[in-house]
Amino acid sequence: MAFPQSMRSSTTPQELEFIASEELVEIRPTVKMDQIRFISGIYGPFTGGRLVKVPLWMAVNLKLKKKCNVVPPVWLNLEYLQDKLSEETSRPVFSDLPFRYAEISKVLLDIASDDLDQPDKLRSVLKDLREARQAKTREGLRAIDQNALSLPNLSAMEINEARPFFVGAMGILSQLTATTDATTI
Amino acid sequence: MENDYYSIDAILAENQKVPCAFKVDIPDLGYLDGGSEKDIKASSKSQLPFWLTPVLLLSDFADCILPPPFSQRVRNALNAEATSVKLSSLVGSGGLWYGFGRMIVHVIEEPYAKDLTNVLVKTFKDRLVDIMDQAQHFGALGNHAGGGGDGQKGEDFREGLDGTERELFALAQASAKRTKQWYESSDKTRR
Repeated sequence: MAFPQSMRSSTTPQELEFIASEELVEIRPTVKMDQIRFISGIYGPFTGGRLVKVPLWMAVNLKLKKKCNVVPPVWLNLEYLQDKLSEETSRPVFSDLPFRYAEISKVLLDIASDDLDQPDKLRSVLKDLREARQAKTREGLRAIDQNALSLPNLSAMEINEARPFFVGAMGILSQLTATTDATTI
Repeated sequence: MENDYYSIDAILAENQKVPCAFKVDIPDLGYLDGGSEKDIKASSKSQLPFWLTPVLLLSDFADCILPPPFSQRVRNALNAEATSVKLSSLVGSGGLWYGFGRMIVHVIEEPYAKDLTNVLVKTFKDRLVDIMDQAQHFGALGNHAGGGGDGQKGEDFREGLDGTERELFALAQASAKRTKQWYESSDKTRR
């Protein structure tokens, strides 16, 4: 394999963003279009001002061409995320965030920040969330053994970041502990 | 770090010296010890590479004692605080402390084998969190050399990592760096 060692066991963040772009978001189109048929489904018709559910990739595309406005998803607002942040810092388990929240929020903040309420504060809350969860991941690492490690409610990007390290560490542990079984034979 | 005959990691891990005492005279092989003796006399001590020892033990030509990287002194230090022991100074900077320990576990007898395995596993787990911590910190710094607030302790720890730990560190650092770069990239300039 010509891949560098670190890329062999996980996907790149860009690939995860691509996969997350299949998620549906709501938009308000600013131009009129008929129904369009894609491989993933049929979307539309688009009439001015009415809410339409489209995949994220299509929303990004239309937004960059200035043909729509994006309606932020239910969880992408300041109060909800601040609640989650206080939940995150007060309890040792991970709080319940949408699986692909990192990718979706990054894309929307990037492309459609004018459609979001207080994007700067959103950015900083998201960053705090990310760091709090990262610290918890490190703590959870102490409980590792060679069989399984359970960290419920981790998001896709966080899993992806930890995967090469975790898999490598568990591999080494299983080799170290295999020796006791071998010598008792 | 497998038991495979062809595994490079296993070969490198075996490349450590073990103190042995010969039980019989061995004519004409005095040069192995680096000295000027013609023969090896019984009960003479020498440092031999680990891959020689299974044969010598099986044929009962020599006795070996536990090599210094796993002595009681090292174990006490690891028990006290695993993260402050410099594993790389025990086996050389390219060395594989965990790999070597595994090999030894295969040849020694039962109660000691289990002990040593427990020492290896506990040390690994204790140091693991620090490895991840440092790797993410350095991944986040990007291309800056040296850690700003990190200080001497962090550097000492990183220097003391053994071969297997260094690989893990590199993995964690690379993935942290990639994620950080993605977070900071922007698609607006694409169109």
